[in-house]
Order: sequence, then C-alpha cells, then structure tokens
Amino acid sequence: MADFNRGHRKGDRSNLPERPAGCCAPIAPVPFSAKRPSYLRVLLIFARNSLVRDMTFRGNFLIEMISSMAWIFMNLGFYILVFQHTPQLGDVNNWGEYSFAWGKYEFFLFLSTTLLINSLVQTLFMANASEFSEMIRTGTLDFALLKPIDTQFLISLQRIQWSSLGNFGVGLGLAVYSLVRIGRVPTPWQVLLFALFVACGVAIMYSLMIALAATSIWLGRNQSLYNFWFYITNFSRYPMEIYHGAYGTPLRLFFTFIIPVLVVVNVPARFLVRPLVPQTPGDLLLPVFAVAATLASLAGSRWVFNRSLLGYRSASS
Amino acid sequence: MGGRAYNLRVMAVVEIESLAKSYRVYQKAEGLLASVAGLFHRRYRTVEAVRGIDLAVEAGEFVAFLGPNGAGKTTTLKLLSGVINPTSGMARVLGHVPWRRENAYRRRFALVMGQKNQLWWDLPAAESFRLHQQIYRIEPDEFDRTRDELTDMLSIRGLLSQPVRELSLGERMKMELTAALLHSPEVLFLDEPTIGLDVVAQYNIQDFLKHYQQERGITTLLTSHYMKDVAALCRRVVIIAHGRIMFDGSLSQIVDRFGGHKVVTLLFANGHIPGDLGVYGEVILEEPPRAKVRVERTAVAKTLAQILQQHPVEDVSVEDPPLEEVIAEMFSQVNEAAEQDDAEQLAGSEG
Amino acid sequence: MYARPAIWWTILRISLEERLVYRGDFALGTLMRFLPILTQVFLWWAVFTAASSGGAVDQTRIVGYSYHDFVAYYLLTMISRAFSSMPGLASGIARDIRDGTVKKYLIQPIDMLSFLLLNRMGHKLVYYTVAALPFALVFFLCRGFFPGGWPEPQIMAAYVASLLMAFLLGFFLEATIGMIGFWFLEVSSLLFVYMLFNFFFSGHMFPLDMLPGYWSTVVKVIPLQYLAYFPAAVFLGKVQGPELVVGLCIQLAWVVFFIALSRVAFRRGVRRYSGYGG
Repeated sequence: MADFNRGHRKGDRSNLPERPAGCCAPIAPVPFSAKRPSYLRVLLIFARNSLVRDMTFRGNFLIEMISSMAWIFMNLGFYILVFQHTPQLGDVNNWGEYSFAWGKYEFFLFLSTTLLINSLVQTLFMANASEFSEMIRTGTLDFALLKPIDTQFLISLQRIQWSSLGNFGVGLGLAVYSLVRIGRVPTPWQVLLFALFVACGVAIMYSLMIALAATSIWLGRNQSLYNFWFYITNFSRYPMEIYHGAYGTPLRLFFTFIIPVLVVVNVPARFLVRPLVPQTPGDLLLPVFAVAATLASLAGSRWVFNRSLLGYRSASS
Repeated sequence: MGGRAYNLRVMAVVEIESLAKSYRVYQKAEGLLASVAGLFHRRYRTVEAVRGIDLAVEAGEFVAFLGPNGAGKTTTLKLLSGVINPTSGMARVLGHVPWRRENAYRRRFALVMGQKNQLWWDLPAAESFRLHQQIYRIEPDEFDRTRDELTDMLSIRGLLSQPVRELSLGERMKMELTAALLHSPEVLFLDEPTIGLDVVAQYNIQDFLKHYQQERGITTLLTSHYMKDVAALCRRVVIIAHGRIMFDGSLSQIVDRFGGHKVVTLLFANGHIPGDLGVYGEVILEEPPRAKVRVERTAVAKTLAQILQQHPVEDVSVEDPPLEEVIAEMFSQVNEAAEQDDAEQLAGSEG
Repeated sequence: MYARPAIWWTILRISLEERLVYRGDFALGTLMRFLPILTQVFLWWAVFTAASSGGAVDQTRIVGYSYHDFVAYYLLTMISRAFSSMPGLASGIARDIRDGTVKKYLIQPIDMLSFLLLNRMGHKLVYYTVAALPFALVFFLCRGFFPGGWPEPQIMAAYVASLLMAFLLGFFLEATIGMIGFWFLEVSSLLFVYMLFNFFFSGHMFPLDMLPGYWSTVVKVIPLQYLAYFPAAVFLGKVQGPELVVGLCIQLAWVVFFIALSRVAFRRGVRRYSGYGG
C-alpha cells in the first residue's frame, strides 16, 4: 500500500490558527500556495492533445480539410462567374464618401482576408463554441467549472480544430496570387497593420460566437447557433460599400456600430488593397473604431458568458 | 499529526445553512393543441430540488447522502462544488463560498460523477492527466508520484497510454477518480461513483476509497444507490427526501429506527413446519425443515419464547433484515413524512 | 393492418409536438433564414450598377435575368429549399444504424422509411405554419421584385407540383445517402461533401443559367437542380411549354428512382446488418 501521508497537504494544518473547543465558526480560507496556471502552457497542451486526437482519425482529418477547402473553391467559382458579367463591384460615381470600387482581384484580396479570419476562428473557437452548447445540454460543463482556471479560457480553447488551417493556407495563397495579379507589393507597415486588424476581426467574431453559444443556456438547444452565426457573419463577407441606399445605409450602420461584423473583414482588407495614405475620413476613423469595437465585443461577450453560467442547471444524464 | 494536539475535530469543513435551490422547468403540455398554445404562452413549474438544508461535516468525515431519486442529493453536491448557484441560503466549504468559484477553493476539492466523464474520450488518460497537471500547477515530481500511487492502488497503471474510449466502464471510472485526486484535494465529493459497474469493479473502488480516505483523512461526501458502498464506507449517513434532511446518524441507527422487525430463522427438529407459524409474524420462507418469520422488533423475545415452548426447534437465529429492505422501508416512511411536511407547509402558506 | 392509419397519425402528432417545444429556435431560425437574401439583394445591385456602366440598371440583363429576376430567384429558392431540405435526415439514419437504434424498426411493425417520412412531414408542416407569416411578410415587402405578379394558373399548378416533388426527392435522396451508413460507419464527411454539391448545384447559390457550357450539361444530368432551381425557374417562367412538361416528368422519374433506390438500399443494408448478428 502506498504511503499517502508523504507530501500530503494535511501537514499544512499547522499553519491554521487554533480555535477554542466548541467553536463552529467557519475556518478562514487557508493561505494556499496560490499558483496560477500558466495559460500559455495549458494552451499548448490543448493544441497538442487536439493534434494527437486529430491524428488518430487521420482519414477524417484529411476529408474535413479537403471538403472545407472544396467549399472555398466553390465560392471562388461563384465569384469568378459573377466577375464574368461585371468588371467590378459597385460604381465609384454613385457611392459617396465610402466609395470604392472592388475589381476582381481587389475583391479576391477581400475574399482572402475573409478566409484568413474565418479559418482562424474555426481553428481556435468553432469546435469549442459548439462543444460549449453541448456541455450545457448534457451537464458536462460541471467539470470546466471545477477547474482552478478561467472558465471562459478553458471553454473557448479546449479543442483546436487543426483541419481548418487548410483554409488559412488557401487564404494566404489567394492573397499572394491576387497581389501579384494587381501588381502591388504591400509595405511592411501594410502587412503589420493587416495582421493586427485580422486579429481584431478574429476577436470580434469570437466574441459573437461565444456569446451566441452561451445563449443556448436559455434557448435550450444549439441548433440555431450555427444558423445564426452563419447568417450574421454572412454580412461580413462583402465589402461594406455594397450596403448602400435607403435600406443599405441603415444596414451598414447597424452591422458596423451595433453588431460590428462589417469591420471584421473590411478594415484589414482595405489595408492590403489601398495605399496607406487615408483618402477619406472613414479611412482613418474606421480602424480606430475597429479597435474600440474589438475591446467592447470582448468585454460584452465575457459579460454574456458569465451571465449564462448563472443560469446553468447542470443537467444530470 | 505529530505529538502536538490540535483541536481540529470541531472545525466544520463543510457548513450548510438553510440552503435551497429551486428550478423553473418548462411544463410540456399534453396534446397537440396545447403544444401549439405552448408556442405563445409557456407554463412553468417550480421544482424545489433542495429546500433548506442545514448540515455540518467535520474534517476527515466520510458522509453518505441517501435518498430516493430526485431527493436533492446530487443537487446538494453540485451546490457544494459551486457548479450551480443556490436560490437562497449559505454554504461554506473549507471557508469558501463554493459558488463564487474562487480558484483558491477550486484547487482544494474534487468532484467525481459516475455519470459524467471529464477525460478526453479519444486520448490516453495520461494526456488528460498532463492537462490537469498544468491547470492545477502540480510540481512535476509530485505529479509523477501522485499519479503512480493512485494508478498503482487502482491497478490501472498499465492502461495509462490506452485511449479512454477503449477502456471498460470500471477502468474508466478508476481513471476519472485518479484525475480527480491528482491535485490531492482536501475535500472530495462523490456522486454515484460506482453506478453501472460490475460487482468486482464496485468492490475495487470501494476498497480504494476506504483506504485512500482513511490514510489521507480527506473529508468525503458520497451519494450512492448501492447500499454496499454506504455500508462499506460511511459511518455517518444523511437521508434526504423532498429536498430536506430527514435523518442524520449512523447506519445502525437507521436499522434500529426504520427496521421495525427482525428476521427469525427456525430449524425444526421433526422436519416439518407447524401450520400456525403465521400467528407469530409474517412467514417469508418455508423450506422444511427451515422457516423464516418476520417478527416485530419489540416482540422478538416474547415470540421466540413462545415458539420454543410450543415447537421442537433445533436451531434459531435472529437477524436484522437486509439493509436494502430497511432502506426501502425507510424511503417510503421518509417520503410520507416529507409529503406530510409539504402539505403542512402549503396549508400554512395559504392560511 | 387497420391499425396503420392510427399509428401514422400518432407518429405525425408526436413529431408535431416535438417540434413545437423548441419555440426559441423556431422564431430565430425562421427570421434568420432571410438574412442571406439581403446580402444577395445588395450584392446583385452592386453587380448590376457596375454592369450597366452608367446606363439604366432596369434594362440590364445577365444571362437573361434582370436585377429583379435575380432577387425574385433567390426568394423563390428559399421556398424550394423549405420543401426539399432535410436537415439531420441522412445523419440521423446513419447514427441510428451506428448505435443500433435501427433495430427498433426491425422489431416494431413500422416501416422505417414511412416512419421517417411522416416524421419529416410533421416537422415540415409545423415549420410551414410557423414560417408562413414571416414568409408572407417578406414576399409582401419584396413584391416589387415580382413585376409580373402571380403566374398563370397552369404555371402555378406546375410550380406546386414541382415543390411537392422537391420534398419527396429531397427526402428519398437524403434517406438513400443515410443508408450508406450500413456499409461505412463514418458518413459525416460524405454528407458534408453532398451538402456542398447540393448547395452549389441545386441552384441555391445562383441561377444555374449562369454556368458556362460544360458545367451546365453536368447540372442538367444530375437531380440536384430539382431541389431548388427548377421550381423557382418554373415560377419565373424560365421553363415553359413542352420543356416544362419534360422537366416535370424527369423530376418525377428521379423521385421514383430514389424511392426504389432507398428501398433496395434499406433491404440490402438490413440483410448485411443482421448478417453481423449485431
């Protein structure tokens, strides 16, 4: 039989203040060697464990990767069809201060930005968000709540979906190809700002996604999550200039300032497509707004997340 | 704990004061029309899972929660783990309010649920353990030592590198236990840890829990449906029914209080059973020359004397009824009492 | 045998009740379904304004479609999809096969395909009841995109027929795919591929007339176009006269084909299944 008293914490009892006999007052929290977990190391283990898991089902991994890439190529095919019938999206003359016409390869740059952001969101968070709803439904969220680590961190990054990185590759390839076709070499500053705002976009999308997943505590089922997610982010997939006119402008304002999905792709994409010199007031204000929107979204999603935990019932199987 | 005397016994590790938890559940209406109506207006029903529990558990105690299904045992454990928030009342475990979910508290206890798994299904348990090591920030050498000790005790060390999905239910439960104990918790909550396991695995886990608890003096709260678990492990039993504590004491007290009769086994010398045995009590077995009679506890001595006087009896034994039977009887009594309480409360609130 | 209608009615009713419980999903789901159309409205306006290069947008045609036609087309495919899409059908069948639930159909006196069909009808009926209002609202708001108004009665009849067949085709096609679960345990990836092709080649993404020569022949010989494109094209009057009759006949043929195929697959699958003794 192993010796359990070796190195056992009960020894720490000697640190406790003595109490008079018969006193039933609660013990004060023991000053515990409070070690915070290293979030980076935990994340690395998540990444590693997920990869080990993915590699156990290699065939599935490949099929997932290929089929999601196929989806991208189908989309690309659609836009190629569209651009066979028009030289560009939109008309510079009619479109006021935000005016910018997206030619075929400019639009493909936009598309590649969408791909980069979406693939990052899918790789890091997608599986986790749907798992979160499932955990709420089945009551396995219990275990996450028990762990001495930030619950939102644990829930959001447990499973890294490596197969979605395939699309990241497609996105990079498409970006390089489009830049070559346009004949533009971006400056290091452009690339840097692009990367920064891609990160902002990922953060906004993540916030939206985790907040949506959290609502399944109230809605009961997570089926609407994907639909809702798909429909909302659908708006982010086009240049914001197309939302124009009596109906388009309110829509653009709504999805810029209320649910900021339009800044997700538009802001970084513009850094790649256009010269860095701001040409309209929007060119300067929008990126500043995007940063603010990122912070607000993250804070908002955290609030929703914590609220949702209050409603958690821990279903028993 | 050395030669110095500490007055540890009186310190309650778990303290619960009028703890209550109620849920609002959507009441699914019967019938098609009612379902359609449910689209627009929903009826809810309030389920009071726990209604005002007071309890103190001292350091090193091993307490069992018993009660019929849906009595509020598991809900109480979940409240103490901070997994759900109470509707009202207070609880402290190791001086922490559980549902604040402070990391300082979460590092000091563990919850094991027989019906839920936390290990990664497709990975070897060793990988999940590594994750725990990082989350709980366990020193590498301490981690290795604890893991080896636990897996040796549970004889699952050889299975560490097998994907969890390939393990048997019993092995999986042992892995879950190991995962929960890696950080050497001071308080352990066990919710049906042996549910669905075969007898051997059940026994192994009981044996492990017994030794582990004794050697470490870890405060443990257990819910279980298996009386064997309870009998083997817990000296103190708390009975919960309808969200309230109906009894708090030892197992033998339960038998005294709720086992209203004893089983008298008689071996008749002439090989046949007298026909009038029924007057002494309910005859539960007739297998000549042996017969079993259920006799009122208080009347055992008198009845026995009468039988011995009137019939040629070769051998006699008097036993307590099987524990399961006592518990079943107790549950029905307790349920009745609880329902009566409910009715009185309701009448009181209406008046 | 006389008990059959009673059983069927019970199944249908339970399916209805089951659906009605999830009110939150329902309201959200129906509303959200129209959002992608909005982006299409704006995308195609952007395309048409650019394509007209300063001229009248109204006069511009792309593959014979005006701007209004495009939007009307997308709205109509929403109706087609409401009939032909069968969320969770194939994956449900595959799951039932994997975890052995399928056995209950072998023991109970219920035919699995009929059970699922009724179940699906129940779900769809509830969906239509709940979705009718939002659909009506959207179409009312978008009535400007239908300058021709309602089509002639015989076109309308053909449209309804093609929708009903779209439902049956969608059901039996997906059921057949689900049966693949008898032969391969893991069908979710396959389903995803099917979904992709379905989305693209059913015409949900764009009017199939946009496809260039080679692709348009491919689309014509596979049945997917009857799930979304064909009913919408009928309504818009893009398919008329003998072409319409032939189209309806081919659609019917596909329905019959997949009814037969799903039956055969089920029978063979069950034989294979019990062969395992599993």
